[in-house]
Amino acid sequence: MKKSVSFEVNGQHQELAVAPSETLLQVLRDQLRLVGAKRGCDSGGCGCCTVHVDGKAVYSCMTFARSLQNCKVTTIEGLTKKDELDPLQTAFVEQGAVQCGYCTCGMIMSAKEFLSKHEQPDEDQIRHAIAGNLCRCTGYHKIVRAIKIAGQTTDLAGE
Amino acid sequence: MTKTNVVGQSVIGPDALEKVRGGKGFPVNVNLPGMLHAKLLRSPYAHARVLNIDTSEAEKLSGVKAVLVPGDVPQIKFCPVYFVPTMAPSMIQDMLVMSETVRYAGQPVAAVAATSPEIAEQALQLIDVDYEELEAVFDTDSAMQNGAPRLHEEAENNIAKNPVFEFGDLEAGFADADHIFEGTYKTQRAHTCYMEPRVCVVDSDVDGRLTVHSSMQHMFGLREKLAFVLDLPESMVNVIKPPYIGGGFGGKLDLGYIEPVAALLSLKTEKPVRIEQTRYEDFITTTRNPIEVYLKTGIKSDGTFTARYARSTLDCGAHATHGAEVIMVHGMFGILLPYRCVNQTWEGRTVYTNNMIGGGYRGYGSPQGAFAIESQIDEICEELGLDPIEFRLKNAHKEGDPHPFNPEFTLSTYRFEDCLRQAAARIDWGQRTPAGSATGTIKRGIGFGCQALWVSGCMGFPDIYEHSGAIIKLNPDGTANLSNATVDMGSGQNVTLCQIAAEELGLQADQVRMTYADTETVPFDAPSHASRVTYSAGTAVKAAAANVKKRLLEVAGVMLETTVDDLKVQDGHVCHQGSDRKLSIAEVVKRAESPFVQMTAEGPQPTTIGEKGTIIGVASMAPPSNPSPSSVEFVEIEVDTETGVVKVLKVVFAHDIGKVINPSAAQGQVEGGFQQGMGYALMENILFDDETGACLTADFLDYKMPTAVEMPPVIDSIFIESDEPTGPFGAKSLSEPCCTVPAPAIANAIYNAVGVRVRELPITPEKILAGLGKL
Repeated sequence: MKKSVSFEVNGQHQELAVAPSETLLQVLRDQLRLVGAKRGCDSGGCGCCTVHVDGKAVYSCMTFARSLQNCKVTTIEGLTKKDELDPLQTAFVEQGAVQCGYCTCGMIMSAKEFLSKHEQPDEDQIRHAIAGNLCRCTGYHKIVRAIKIAGQTTDLAGE
Repeated sequence: MTKTNVVGQSVIGPDALEKVRGGKGFPVNVNLPGMLHAKLLRSPYAHARVLNIDTSEAEKLSGVKAVLVPGDVPQIKFCPVYFVPTMAPSMIQDMLVMSETVRYAGQPVAAVAATSPEIAEQALQLIDVDYEELEAVFDTDSAMQNGAPRLHEEAENNIAKNPVFEFGDLEAGFADADHIFEGTYKTQRAHTCYMEPRVCVVDSDVDGRLTVHSSMQHMFGLREKLAFVLDLPESMVNVIKPPYIGGGFGGKLDLGYIEPVAALLSLKTEKPVRIEQTRYEDFITTTRNPIEVYLKTGIKSDGTFTARYARSTLDCGAHATHGAEVIMVHGMFGILLPYRCVNQTWEGRTVYTNNMIGGGYRGYGSPQGAFAIESQIDEICEELGLDPIEFRLKNAHKEGDPHPFNPEFTLSTYRFEDCLRQAAARIDWGQRTPAGSATGTIKRGIGFGCQALWVSGCMGFPDIYEHSGAIIKLNPDGTANLSNATVDMGSGQNVTLCQIAAEELGLQADQVRMTYADTETVPFDAPSHASRVTYSAGTAVKAAAANVKKRLLEVAGVMLETTVDDLKVQDGHVCHQGSDRKLSIAEVVKRAESPFVQMTAEGPQPTTIGEKGTIIGVASMAPPSNPSPSSVEFVEIEVDTETGVVKVLKVVFAHDIGKVINPSAAQGQVEGGFQQGMGYALMENILFDDETGACLTADFLDYKMPTAVEMPPVIDSIFIESDEPTGPFGAKSLSEPCCTVPAPAIANAIYNAVGVRVRELPITPEKILAGLGKL
């Protein structure tokens, strides 16, 4: 049976009828047509679906939408403010960290939460921070470099 | 080396900007009005006959719109491999879209289309299937025994294909040898792990015409195969080019079950039908074929090969599909051709089992070969005290030699020696210590592996498609649109092909944009596979751009009242040589597209008939050759002798790929190729239950691939640039060899570290501890 859940997505209030088994990923992709979060495995194994719930990076495929009452959800679509890219988005583009791009949005969302809590992290810290996000194209090198560069220009207040 | 402006730059394309903001262009996002969702019911048995299917309860479920069982599906046998004609005699036509005979656990036996994926899934549970379970066989040795269950009527002892290649006199070669070495080398199943699942949406018109969206590597292959299995003329199927797909690596190089099933359900319901595979379904859809290689080598004391014999046994699973061609490429480019040896015999066997079907995967048979060849060379050098670098060079081909695969071609550019020497210097090879001499519990080692010979596409292969096309059109604002039929699966060709067009047209890279294409509007192209796109599609793009330029100069010639010979394009302009007169490309295009009286800033301007017409260039052609890239990789690793865990510390790659079109994209290929190769070497393996044949590693929690943590901190990519005379602006190819060489390089480094030779991939901690006598 569907039940109404009200929460915020990228600053906009949403009130949606949600079935008990429905995941945040399904709500984002199928109901709200926000397709930045990708379904890669649907079992919490790849990280392509990573978004923020109250500032914390989560696998949206493993998050029941029913649990989101009054929560604030941020997706990759909410990261760009007035057409201005987030420093992470810019660094990913400039460093060539995007190949097929299927993991990219989840990777950036994981990195975003991490950079909000770690000032100027080293490469080893970055590698562990994105260990829950798989990429099959890049070998992670340019991704790690992009996060490092973004980390040098991001101040901790930014979300 | 030709001087270039745009080619050779690390240009960033518009795709990257789109992908960091959500990436709406992936096929997984295609959503059509009224779209239904379908799911496949898959057999729990590895070998069975379907006696009866009762779908009545499923059909009653609210929201179910159509059900498909084998009786509804045309029983047309086919080969699903995209890059060959469906009925190619070298391939084996043993597949059906839906069959009453099940040959592997997970084979589809029914499908449901419903208004949501959840309802479709629920309906599957209501389908009642009676199976007669049959005896199954899961390994090639048992499958070849007399009395083993026969999987396909045509294949005696389950041997689907048995090619043999012979050169010279093998017996004389072995008689001439001072030493003979033997070994058996085994490789496992590995998944490409493309991140975007296989997904499709198929729509049908009232007259039965199909429009197909799919995450695949070949538009025209999909059109041809889909039309074939549905018994439709090809013109009744239109495949839309996805702007990009979420990875492929060879894993989306054949017609799946999903496209024909979606098509049949769409024809039945007159609605668009979408099927997205689950990760479990992806894991049992495609794999690199496991191959066991027995290798016997005769050698002179000075390190010259005198004879080589190899026998390769490939487990193709339930259907031959790619296994019929992987075995050939493996024999030629994996075993026989990388080094010179006059006397060689190779036998291949592609064997049916009740395992999952094999597929294409980056390297296409060469990783399985290189692991055997490059491991054994190091064993030989160790035993005879020879230098492994000089040994390889002694037996290597030389620049200017006839191409060993096809003597009509020449190795015009071939910098294998430069690759070896420069990479060796970079990793400080001279400091390497003897095998197993390191002290302490954590021991370091250095090793390397090579792919001395590889392809730039499939020119010269008798049955494989190898031609490309392109359409380039100039716009009145002075920009250009390029359309062609090669799908960008993440290797960056949407940018590199635009760079090639821009270079030829005197434009900036961002003034050429890759645009829409479908199989009704653009020329044929072979798939995005076989390291071919830069070389082969790049050749066609350059030719199309040259045709655009010719027409551009003709119109400009009329405008400037001069001959074409006095004109050239440069920096977005057509320039008159010998004076400072010039026109911007935009001015010329505006004139060509104007009415007969053109309105300009200077007032109305009369024009002529000869100036009229869209400035457009088309090419459709085969490339002139098949130049070989070379790939060499050195690794420094450490082995923990207490746990058996291997850590890669440093990687130095050297590649001769001709002219590098886009250095950043090329580095990305190499770094990603290493990740896949390291996973293959150390951890990746699709495992099945011994009794039932069910896949045990069907998600990323059980199938381990490298994360950022396992990757080495340093991957150093050296590009030895050569100017390949047959390639666009001197380019050859790159993307597969960098994935082939890590496994032998790592195996050889492990031997150097701890003195343990492991001849079976993946090299797990257990195998190392067993080699150290600790297990």
